[in-house]
Amino acid sequence: MNSTLEQRHAVGGGFLRRLNFGTAAVSGLIFGFAAWALSHHFLDDSGQGFADQVTVLTGCGWVVGFLLGIGALTGPGKWFTGRDQSHADEMYLAGKDLGRKRFFQYTTDHKVVGVQYIIATMVLLGAGGILAMGIRTNLLTPGNHFVNQQVYNGFLGVHGMLMILGLIIAVAGPWANFILPIQVGARDMAFPRLNALSLWTLIAAIPLLLGSLAIGAMDMGWVTQGPISDQSGIGFDLFAMSIITFTISTTVAGVNTICTVLTMRTKGMTMERLPIFAWASIFAAGLGLYAFPFFLVVMSLNLADRMVGTSFFIASGGGTGWLQENLFWLMGHPEVYVILLPAVGAILEIASVFSRKPLFSYRTVVGGMAGLCGLSALVWAHHMFTTGWAPTLGGPFMLTTELISIPTGVIFLVLLGTIWRGNIWMKMPMIWVFGFIVNFIVGGITGIYLSDIPVDNQMHGTMFVVAHFHYVFVGSVLFGAIAALFYWFPKVSGRFIDEKMGRISFWLVFIGTHVTFISMFVSGLRGMSRRYSSYAMIFEHTNFITTIGAYMIMSGMLVLLGAVITSWRSGEPSGPNPWGGKSLEWMVPTPVPLENFEVLPVITSDPYTYGEAKS
Amino acid sequence: MTSNDNQKNNLRQIFWIWLAITAFGVVVGIYATPRLMPRAASNTMHLSVLTMVVFTVAAAPIAALVYSVVIVALTKWRYRGEGVPPDGPPIRGNSPATSIWLVVSTLLTVFLLVWGLALLAVDNGAQSKSQMTVNVTGQQWIWSFGYAGTQVHSLDLFLPVDTDVKFAVTSKDVVHGFWIVQMGIKVNANPGVITTTAVTPNRVGTFDIRCTEICGLNHAFMVTRVHVLTKKNFDHWLATQPATN
Repeated sequence: MNSTLEQRHAVGGGFLRRLNFGTAAVSGLIFGFAAWALSHHFLDDSGQGFADQVTVLTGCGWVVGFLLGIGALTGPGKWFTGRDQSHADEMYLAGKDLGRKRFFQYTTDHKVVGVQYIIATMVLLGAGGILAMGIRTNLLTPGNHFVNQQVYNGFLGVHGMLMILGLIIAVAGPWANFILPIQVGARDMAFPRLNALSLWTLIAAIPLLLGSLAIGAMDMGWVTQGPISDQSGIGFDLFAMSIITFTISTTVAGVNTICTVLTMRTKGMTMERLPIFAWASIFAAGLGLYAFPFFLVVMSLNLADRMVGTSFFIASGGGTGWLQENLFWLMGHPEVYVILLPAVGAILEIASVFSRKPLFSYRTVVGGMAGLCGLSALVWAHHMFTTGWAPTLGGPFMLTTELISIPTGVIFLVLLGTIWRGNIWMKMPMIWVFGFIVNFIVGGITGIYLSDIPVDNQMHGTMFVVAHFHYVFVGSVLFGAIAALFYWFPKVSGRFIDEKMGRISFWLVFIGTHVTFISMFVSGLRGMSRRYSSYAMIFEHTNFITTIGAYMIMSGMLVLLGAVITSWRSGEPSGPNPWGGKSLEWMVPTPVPLENFEVLPVITSDPYTYGEAKS
Repeated sequence: MTSNDNQKNNLRQIFWIWLAITAFGVVVGIYATPRLMPRAASNTMHLSVLTMVVFTVAAAPIAALVYSVVIVALTKWRYRGEGVPPDGPPIRGNSPATSIWLVVSTLLTVFLLVWGLALLAVDNGAQSKSQMTVNVTGQQWIWSFGYAGTQVHSLDLFLPVDTDVKFAVTSKDVVHGFWIVQMGIKVNANPGVITTTAVTPNRVGTFDIRCTEICGLNHAFMVTRVHVLTKKNFDHWLATQPATN
């Protein structure tokens, strides 16, 4: 008996050995059901409607149960009872010698967390994409009723939120976890256990969002505006719970990213020698730390209005929807740059490597990103020009909004300067970078129209706005995320993503994006409001074209998904440095060993020394 | 060929491509933009369309610059050999280029701002003078209009042409967006608050009102019409309406 105990101690892990995604899901369901049964029993008898309270408590039960079931609270529990993790426990947590099992567990190795984030991103974007197809199918013809209006409105809100959450993590999740610590010369993130916590908190939030659609009756769109969110059915309770859970996850992840870059850099890795992706990641994470508390607050106040009789946003109780809109957009505009900056960072890395040239004007682009972060916190009310709130502030907010085109222009300058007279190597990552450049110009310029108040008075709330921000999110951020996937996939799997399928998917998504959103611009210019479930005959042709384009994007994304899955299993082997990159992630072997470096490297220059004499 | 000649060649190519794309953008801006938008029924809308045209023309050279560099990169600078390409020229920055870029983008931003503020001043001027007021009420999912100083209410909006009209907008339930499509004015209808906007219709005809904030099941059907009548016809219409409340 003693020897087996000792053996067990030597392999480490203790109770955690029994826990994985399956036990987490079961435990989440049990806790959720228990919370439902208890709250139902104690709250429903009074004869009042307590559906909101019951739903929120059920959601809390799910989150707590899920995190208990995955083992997120085991470490703190041990600490609380005065025992600490042994070395063997830590090795078990890092996934040592666990093979594939480690991807389904509470694993602290940043590379495993990175892969788990890739899967989570695919789930979020895939589910959001399916809903997008539902929306576009409903709008194929003027009076189409693919789904009824109630379901359609639910699709709108959940599509929007799935895509927003998916894009927030699309670059920062996989690559700020997998690549960033190696890039700065660290053995792991600063807080490996918090890293696992942020991932599994995110996973706990996803079923809540999907569940909100299932129990439905949501009319509020993704912006969850004032009184309409109060009118919505119990789906909204899970929707808000999901966002609250997500903000906790993102805050933990953001702190971790910043601490990793600030404190874990290897010898000689000064801030001026950081790869630009690391700069972009800490700017995005820092901006997220400013923005997402507003998200948490606005959802909490909204739930309070529904559950405990407050009236923050209810006019008849002295509240105001304008408060909701202000809080939401205080989050909502910085969030655009939380999404955009990591993608820009990845794009700049790729542009340098595939042009075989140093990054153009490193300090200018770091300054530009800092400018974007600062200004993005001061522009939120441009989403509210037509709400009637504070008309006197129109001019100042128009000023800050138009100023943001200067740092955005800096990003273009640096991109163009980097490819200027380079030896452009048109492999898959670079192809998506060119797609990004072409699309982002459209997204940027149409944003300038909307910053002008007289134009916004016409265009706000129309399909023009929808097309504008889809050019930014799909045409730019998604293209950047896919470029990053093609670029770093060989480091994850040791294999290339299939080039032929990659090219097919690029052309389908690229052409599809323009077909979809140019026709959507036209719908907006001609006067079609957004969030319509059906429309007048004059919008018939442009909407038909938009739907065809949306199907093209979907086909391209399915081809890409197929390419990723087949290449992961049986793609062409890539070796450790297939692109001839100079940043640290290309200097370690593939697959990257646990703790990344045998001996931590010493850095003598930034990773952009192309064409320069070796010192 | 020396690299200096190469550079000159590149710049020449970029210039011609830039010129062609700029010309295309200017033509599209001037010709297509006004035709894609509804025909204006007020000066406000006219200025919105004009702004769209001006901004498109101003943006054309910027987009053209980016696209011309992209085209030259894809055709002239592309590496067509096997394997990792050799290193390119180690250009770490170019202070004159960066400075010019910053100065030009700042000047363009100042232009946008001055243009926007000037138009905003025109709008605000229109708000301050009004010859009649219409009380607009949104509710799920209809608009109703009360004509200040009378007992008349209607579900279609009736306006006299060439008259400064002020709208006092509110909602009975959730937030709606009051938008007269061909007149370029929009303001939300918020419960418990009165928001205002103003317009001077300058064309007789029938125009569209659409809701622009999601307001529940029938958001897409919360539409009605504006009938702009001659002053004489409007007075006649108003006089023949029954008083309601």
